[in-house]
Amino acid sequence: MSTDVMIEANGLTKRYGAFRALDKVSFEVHRGEVVGFLGPNGAGKSTTMRILTCFISATGGTARVHGYDVFDDPLEVRKKIGYLPQRAPLYGEMSVWEYLSFVADMRGLETSTFKKRMKNIVEVCGLATSLGKDIRDLSHGYRQRVGLAQALVHDPPILILDEPTSDLDPNEKAEVIKYIQEIGKERTILLSTHNLSEVEQACARAIIVSKGRIVADGPLEEIRAKSGRVRYVVQVHEKRVFEGGPAKKAPSAEEVQAALEKLPGVTSVVELPTDDRAHSFQLAGAQDGDIRAEIFQLIVSKGWLLLEMRREAQKLEDVFKALTKNDERRDRGRPIVEDDEDEAEAAAEDEDEDEDESDEDESDEDESDEDEDEDESDEDDKKKKG
Amino acid sequence: MGTTFIIAKREFRSNFDSTLAYVVICLGLILLGFVFFEFGGGFWQQDRASLVQIFAQAPRGLSFLIIPVVTMRLLAEEKRSGTLEMLITLPVKDHEVILGKFLGAWGLVLLLVASTLLYPLLMFWKPWDLGPLDMGPVYSGYLGLVLYSAAAVSIGLLISALAESQTVAFFITFVVLFALHMVGSVADKMPTPWLREAISFISFDTRLVPFAKGMINTRDIVYFASIAVGCLMAAFRALERRKWA
Repeated sequence: MSTDVMIEANGLTKRYGAFRALDKVSFEVHRGEVVGFLGPNGAGKSTTMRILTCFISATGGTARVHGYDVFDDPLEVRKKIGYLPQRAPLYGEMSVWEYLSFVADMRGLETSTFKKRMKNIVEVCGLATSLGKDIRDLSHGYRQRVGLAQALVHDPPILILDEPTSDLDPNEKAEVIKYIQEIGKERTILLSTHNLSEVEQACARAIIVSKGRIVADGPLEEIRAKSGRVRYVVQVHEKRVFEGGPAKKAPSAEEVQAALEKLPGVTSVVELPTDDRAHSFQLAGAQDGDIRAEIFQLIVSKGWLLLEMRREAQKLEDVFKALTKNDERRDRGRPIVEDDEDEAEAAAEDEDEDEDESDEDESDEDESDEDEDEDESDEDDKKKKG
Repeated sequence: MGTTFIIAKREFRSNFDSTLAYVVICLGLILLGFVFFEFGGGFWQQDRASLVQIFAQAPRGLSFLIIPVVTMRLLAEEKRSGTLEMLITLPVKDHEVILGKFLGAWGLVLLLVASTLLYPLLMFWKPWDLGPLDMGPVYSGYLGLVLYSAAAVSIGLLISALAESQTVAFFITFVVLFALHMVGSVADKMPTPWLREAISFISFDTRLVPFAKGMINTRDIVYFASIAVGCLMAAFRALERRKWA
């Protein structure tokens, strides 16, 4: 093993009775990387992190942190790790300073070293004004900061943060992300979340898990390109036309849609909600193509008034949905534990099919997606508790 | 300072961060005072310089009121709020967590036991020197209290490690300790001698009586010590269970 590998998971499997929370998860995190660990609720993110921090043991597979095996040397592993569990559970009755010095004592830090380090940590985490307050009186955002601070007290080379931004308001989220970027300059960080914009801000690489399996692992750019699609947004004026052009009256939505659908390389056209001034459409096309010129020509030749046109590489969010959603749908109604070999094969086959299916699913469901996702996460929460 | 003692210190001090601890301590001392001077004729009617009342009644007070309250939080509350995950992922071994928690809670109970020293000090030394006190039974009585409280606290800790919430832990601990006290008085009514012996063997009260009288039996010491050790080991296993469950 090269000394560069800070976290190494090898075929990690975790079963809770018949439920398989993790299924042969393998990945590596190298020195200095900030890796986003993504997945829907109940996908196995926390389970993986708990195994890496030696809180629970894996049913199968091995993991090494900083060269130490999580099963054989849990104390050494924990010394190298700063860990922030989900929802930052802290002793509410202690003040921030008391709590941090308790953690420092537990980690065997000298008082002088602790005080020196606190200066820096207080600054990075923005805790200067709340050191004397009881933790139970703090807002959730501040608790999260204290959680980060306790993970940094011993200046660990590796940080494992489990949903550091959940339940925070947008400002607090932005701040926590800022801290993570700050902290991540000289550390290895594994960061779990289901908020994709955060990953895009803070991480260069992402690992996407779904139902206990890794479905994607690589640099963000690569993952984004994985589904191989690009989309265009076109907006045409609803009331006016180009003066002196061939058109005499403004086009109807159907007219525009029909014309756009005829363009070469367009796989789908969906109308987007707008005010009554414009027709707005979203087109999906192939990743390597660029049909902006064709769109422009079409609109000029019709004499319509173009308000907006833009081309977007697929967002990480779309990839995420495409990769994880069908997985969950497929999972319903099939036995949870199957024979290992069969499942691996089936998964490989399904993966290919899904990619294609998801193309259509995606665009049709864009509007209803929000609600559905919430339902799913609720369900998953229940599963977790159960 | 070892991590065990850091955990114990934190645990001990956290008792004083809530008003509950103060209320329980005050209530306990008031009750003890009432029982000592009024209950069953009380101290004055006995007409003897003896602290037997303390040694007879203090364990009940501790069992029915203080120990369930002190031990219920130890692990149940930490499991529920998730702080246990934070604690265990620090570089600390599981048995150090258990031992630290035990020492923290035991420390508080011992503090209470020590506060009953006020009775002999004030009454038989200064300012009211009521006469010479036979010190033998006092020493052995306190040894009994110390051993008994170790056993009772470790029972509470074990139940807290197994229970889902601190309320459940409180009630189960209360019931178990209540049973261990009361079972002795049922012993006489048992039909068969072996059952009678078995019951008085596990009864707290029958084990505590010799200490109050000034007798220190190895059997009684071993009884309390093995309860404490056994429960701590079981609690350690219960904590470890999270890894595989």
